[in-house]
Amino acid sequence: MSTTVTQTTASPERVPWSPLRVRQLIGKVAIYTFVTALGVVFLVPLFWLFASSLKEGSRIFDQPVEWFPANPQWRNYPDAWTALPFTRFLLNTLFVTLVPLVAEVFASALVAYGFARFAFPGRNLLFMVMISTMFLPDAVKLIPTFLIWKQFNLIDNYDPLVLGSLLGGTPLFIFLMRQFFSSVPREIEEAAIIDGANVFQTFTRVMLPLIRPALLSVSIIGFQGHWNDFLGPLIYLNSQAKYTLTVGMYFFTGGTNERPHWEWLMAMSTLMVLPILILFIFFQRYFIEGLTSGGVKG
Amino acid sequence: MVGDPIADYLPTFIRFLLLAAAVIGISIGVHYVLRKVFHVRREVAIGYSLITPWILGFLTFSAVPLVSTFALSFTDYNLQQTPSLVGVKNYDTLINKDVNFWPSIRLTILYSVISVPISVFFSLMLALLLSKKLRFIGVYRVLYYLPSIVPAVAVVLLWRWIFNPDVGLLNTALSPIFNLTGQSPPDWFGDENWVLPAFIIMSFWTALGNNMVILLGSRKGVATDLYEAASIDGANTFTKFLKITVPMMTPAIFFLIVVEFASAMQLFTPAAFARATPAAGRFMNLLIYTYGFQQSRMGYATALAVILFLLILAATIILFRSQARWVYYEGQEK
Repeated sequence: MSTTVTQTTASPERVPWSPLRVRQLIGKVAIYTFVTALGVVFLVPLFWLFASSLKEGSRIFDQPVEWFPANPQWRNYPDAWTALPFTRFLLNTLFVTLVPLVAEVFASALVAYGFARFAFPGRNLLFMVMISTMFLPDAVKLIPTFLIWKQFNLIDNYDPLVLGSLLGGTPLFIFLMRQFFSSVPREIEEAAIIDGANVFQTFTRVMLPLIRPALLSVSIIGFQGHWNDFLGPLIYLNSQAKYTLTVGMYFFTGGTNERPHWEWLMAMSTLMVLPILILFIFFQRYFIEGLTSGGVKG
Repeated sequence: MVGDPIADYLPTFIRFLLLAAAVIGISIGVHYVLRKVFHVRREVAIGYSLITPWILGFLTFSAVPLVSTFALSFTDYNLQQTPSLVGVKNYDTLINKDVNFWPSIRLTILYSVISVPISVFFSLMLALLLSKKLRFIGVYRVLYYLPSIVPAVAVVLLWRWIFNPDVGLLNTALSPIFNLTGQSPPDWFGDENWVLPAFIIMSFWTALGNNMVILLGSRKGVATDLYEAASIDGANTFTKFLKITVPMMTPAIFFLIVVEFASAMQLFTPAAFARATPAAGRFMNLLIYTYGFQQSRMGYATALAVILFLLILAATIILFRSQARWVYYEGQEK
């Protein structure tokens, strides 16, 4: 949808300085000044984060702020990285991000396909139930869910962070993908079935490729969710070696040492932003599509 | 390498594969039973079989926990002994004796009630501004969106520092004002009166871009012919804005407020990382964590979770009830 709204003000005359033109010009300049100034205010903290990650620990609080460190301390990065076992934390984070991501995207797609294409009794009711679980606060499920995993003796294992993804995925994903499935013409499936494909083949070979934009959008939302998750790893993982990056950072900030190494924290924060930033640069469209299709048609 | 990663991942991965096989097996089983035993139509059987994973997940991770939360909240449970029934004692203690309870309610509600309207209002203004045909519009959109992709952990660490009373960026930037008025600069996270504003400012920075992108999407969905019709009727820009743009965007605004409010009430990561002075109260979700997982008072913590749930539920119901008054859905008479 790229229907931009046409400005319906009277078309500007070719007279160079008609009052209307002057007013429009002033308006434009004002808008640009405002959005640029606001943009700078919004970016300053991020730039500061990066600049500080390159300073010496003792000079990090110097006033006035040194925006471009004259003597960038790149070794802050390896120093911080090795102060705690961050390589291991990164592997752990990738494990609890990628494995459930694949499972929940696939499972959500299957469920969404079921809701979108097959008329079974109670479908609308079940779909409403599914939508309402989107509004069920996680806080209310937290402790019983913890106790369920404890029953299975799986605390301090990755299972609580990984296995749940197999069970039907995430309501938001199902909702988004159902919308996409519904917009696929039925003739396409019928053609596949005439060609002798069964339901599963139709789904994987025909339908999934058709909703690729939706798959990318939900994968990005899911990746961000797992990568940034803090509460889950915090309550389920106890041994330090199993920590994810977020939990590692948490204990990095509040450790027993008298004064946190701010330059290290800033370096690690910069590194945590990096993967998401790279994803964003390459898949900007899907970040925004995932957000808008969820919100607007809701 | 610390520990043995393979030895940690492999058992989980094997259980993951086994569970995957089990879920597929159950789904196929559902299909088989429906077809062979109940003789339902093929389409119906396939439908149920496809949504089986979700039904399993719904029962295990939504229905059962929801019911158990209510049940647990009437018990004493420290993870060692079996839960013992204590009636409404947990609620009584929370409401009447716990010194952390009311400050926590106050902070959580004030934060949600103030921060959500502010960020939605300014996101709306910004979305309307950016929906004009400007050059480099994409650049601005990315610019404002950037803070919302920063992991919450990094956001809070960054802002703890910006809020540093002596050398923080914010107080440095504001110092001319303080010099002029002779006030001493605030100690943000360190001063109980400034904790709430600090959280609101921080959330504003993160949420603005995200909300703006959603609203911008809905702004673009407003059909052009409405504006053309209004122009023919002689409406000016401001009238069109008030009578067309805003009403047509109300479904998206409504959706945003509902979702943002629920997530503001459950604020956790920033609350945990900010290490704000406890004198201002702790966010409810953080208090649940403290009681449940740090002090092993599971029953007591679930009672607090139930109260949080009821507050969110009440707010959601009020919002949905208010819909008829201000939310406009297409195809509906007004």
